[in-house]
Amino acid sequence: MDLLLQQTVNAFALGGTYALLALGLAVVFSIMGLINFAHGELMTIAGYTLMYCGIAGVSFMLAVPLAIAMAMIAAVLMERIAFRPVRNSSGATMLVTSFAVSMILQVLFQNLISTRSQAVILPAILSQSVTIGGLVIGVNKIAAIVATIVMLIFLDIFMKRQKTGIAMRAAAEDFNIARLMGIRANTVIAGAFALSGMLAGVAAVLWVSQRSSVDPHMGFLPVVKAFIAAILGGLGSLRGAVAGGFLLGFIEIYLAAFLPPGLQEFRDPIGLSIVVAILLFRPNGLIPAASLKSEKV
Amino acid sequence: MITSPRKHIIVSVTAIVLAVVVAAVLATVLGTASERVLTVFFISLIAVVGMGVYSGNSGILTFGHLSFMAIGAYAASLLTLPAQLKIATLPKLPEWLATTEMGLLPATLIAVLLTCAVALLIGLAIGKLEGSAAVISTLGLLIIVHGIAIGWRDVTRGSQTFFGIPREASLWVAAIGVIIALIVARLYRDSISGLRLRAGRENAIAASAVGVRIRRERLISFVLSAALMALSGALIAHFLGAISPKKFYFTDTFLLLAMLIVGGMTTVTGAITGAVTITIVIEVLRRFEGGFTLAGWDMPAIFGTTQIGIGLIILFAMFRKPDGLAGLKEWEERLFPGRPGTKAAPDIAQSAKAEPLTATGMTMQFGGLVAVNDVALTLNPGEITGLIGPNGSGKTTLMNMLSGVLVPTKGRFYQGTTELSGLVSHEIANRGIARTFQNIRLFDTLSVYQNVLVAALSTNGGKNAHGRAQAALTRMGVADHADEDAGTLSYGDQRRVEIARALACQPSLLFLDEPAAGMNRDETDNLTETLRALTRDLGLGILLVDHDLKLINQLCDRIAVLNEGHLIAEGTPQDIRNNPVVIEAYLGPNRQD
Repeated sequence: MDLLLQQTVNAFALGGTYALLALGLAVVFSIMGLINFAHGELMTIAGYTLMYCGIAGVSFMLAVPLAIAMAMIAAVLMERIAFRPVRNSSGATMLVTSFAVSMILQVLFQNLISTRSQAVILPAILSQSVTIGGLVIGVNKIAAIVATIVMLIFLDIFMKRQKTGIAMRAAAEDFNIARLMGIRANTVIAGAFALSGMLAGVAAVLWVSQRSSVDPHMGFLPVVKAFIAAILGGLGSLRGAVAGGFLLGFIEIYLAAFLPPGLQEFRDPIGLSIVVAILLFRPNGLIPAASLKSEKV
Repeated sequence: MITSPRKHIIVSVTAIVLAVVVAAVLATVLGTASERVLTVFFISLIAVVGMGVYSGNSGILTFGHLSFMAIGAYAASLLTLPAQLKIATLPKLPEWLATTEMGLLPATLIAVLLTCAVALLIGLAIGKLEGSAAVISTLGLLIIVHGIAIGWRDVTRGSQTFFGIPREASLWVAAIGVIIALIVARLYRDSISGLRLRAGRENAIAASAVGVRIRRERLISFVLSAALMALSGALIAHFLGAISPKKFYFTDTFLLLAMLIVGGMTTVTGAITGAVTITIVIEVLRRFEGGFTLAGWDMPAIFGTTQIGIGLIILFAMFRKPDGLAGLKEWEERLFPGRPGTKAAPDIAQSAKAEPLTATGMTMQFGGLVAVNDVALTLNPGEITGLIGPNGSGKTTLMNMLSGVLVPTKGRFYQGTTELSGLVSHEIANRGIARTFQNIRLFDTLSVYQNVLVAALSTNGGKNAHGRAQAALTRMGVADHADEDAGTLSYGDQRRVEIARALACQPSLLFLDEPAAGMNRDETDNLTETLRALTRDLGLGILLVDHDLKLINQLCDRIAVLNEGHLIAEGTPQDIRNNPVVIEAYLGPNRQD
């Protein structure tokens, strides 16, 4: 029972990170239909910012907002330079563009920083743990869960109350109609990228605080997982992204904890097969996007 | 089986064989280094066209096809690996496999068949997904197969190198392989299945409405492309002599995808163009990677020059040529435009199933909105029925239900005594009900002739398809445009092609959704004549939705009027013109009362 509770905390921590990443992908996808492969590189940029801040002796409390800000700036620049020229192209064109961006950035990291994994200096408190009701929980796990909850609440308020957030939701339902109502395409898209950069930045801080190192490929794997989470939840649906992220986190953690040792090596294939099996029954995901229903014949 | 002119195929196949043989001879003359480069190029090209067979024709990008390459490579290698080595390195193999030792050819064949079986199962599973979900699911496939290859140590040696594979894949073996792959891919593109799949790629709803079973065609191309990937995998394993799961993962996936996309994934020409371009760029950049001297300046060694080069080429291609360097047509199609010569059928044959369509209680609810509410309607052969009503009264929704595009919330409809409700779009098209769409849905990058041919091939068992296609084009007066791309036609011509496409299904009942929209008076009058002739000559029943009341009044034997989802009147044009309820629906209540 203790093990189950313990793993559930872990699952929330990992699932929360996936959820934030999947949300970042979903915000951009819902508006312009782009599956952004380079989302992982936004994470890596935030990770390197943390690393350099640590080296320069900047306090962690300052380094975190700085890292998130860097990811946001990088996301907006990425849109301006790479994605604006292909904005009205097919989904495949945009996806391929994004993987070219991802590839170029990874090589740049390798050349300009290092091909090897670099240590990130973290405050000592993150590696400590506290005991709550007999459970030993790492501070970094608690931080991850708290940060995820805070971000989700922030996002909910932003999307429901803020003008830009409402404009984004309108654009996600029907971009052309939203533009006819006077919503500026460039503003909404830049906003979506900034938001996805912010989410990637937060996710990167959480990710790095579990591993205390960063390498050029750091963002790749979690973002691939986030793609899968976004599909599982229903691509383009924000609530779906959160649900898919958490579900994937749970599947992975529970498999790691409870799969017999002989099958541990097949953890990833088994986990993904479960996802595929769920998708067979719900091809549009757990919570399908609203825009799916609105195609007019 | 092949839908394009024989000339295209002959020219293309000859060119493929010639090019491969000439390249191979040249490489042999130039020496071992070029032989190696060319062999790898040939094997990669097999994989690129393999991915193209699925992605190009279906329009669904794939990240997962290297898993089929991995399955092919491991399966073939397990069969050719010397028995003694197998016993030493893989002690836990089952007895029958450990003692098997065969040549490259039978091993490759078995590996390809095995991969086909696996692809069939996977294709059945992920075939349900659409759009971006289908793309990402292939990413999942790659990770799953990679994970299995690493985990299944008893058979694959896990993440360690699987070595000792006999190096039997020489340049000429690869050359034969690539010739086979290119010809298969080229033939598939213009096969009936390939043409149907391309129609589905252009417009899935319209393709179903002319009888195409998109999922089945997708599955066929998925399995075929997996077979080519397995061939490529078996050859690369027997060229390198050693493989590991890493070889079939993201790095190579991106490299091969880059080749496919830069060249243009919809054609074999594009796959070749892309593979050649990227290979040349890699070979050139690789020489710069270790640093070089330019005009007296020492350039530093830059790690990953090739990757940056490939990345920039992709960006350039996507910004400037999103359809790829080779565009959307094969070179021989550009050079020799045309279509297969046909003995034009005298005219469209009369459909056998001349039975009335009876619908009762048709209701469609979208959330809280009832778009169509309890409507009953009968459509008779040889009769033109007009369906009119203000905007949003449910006309198109009713038509969508009767053609299987939407599933009614309530209500049933019958053809004679056969129930049609519950059937999907392509099944209804096969029962002799064809339609056009309010917002034109043509297969834009296919020629006008192919647009109509797909419909003829996918209905009535595809009998005399070329004749029916030609006759339908002639009937609608668009035969002169047959070789043009449908997307380039004028609005009025596109409407006529859409009707021709519906006629090619040899329907007994034709649904026309605003056929005269965007036509001028002369064109509309012509259309009136054409439609009248269709009912007179062929005994066709027509359901006509339009806002042009002159057209409706001239043409219709009977008119049904919808308002806010209800059928408010039905009768002859004369009755409807004098019906106070109809006048009120259109003009509002009379204030003088």
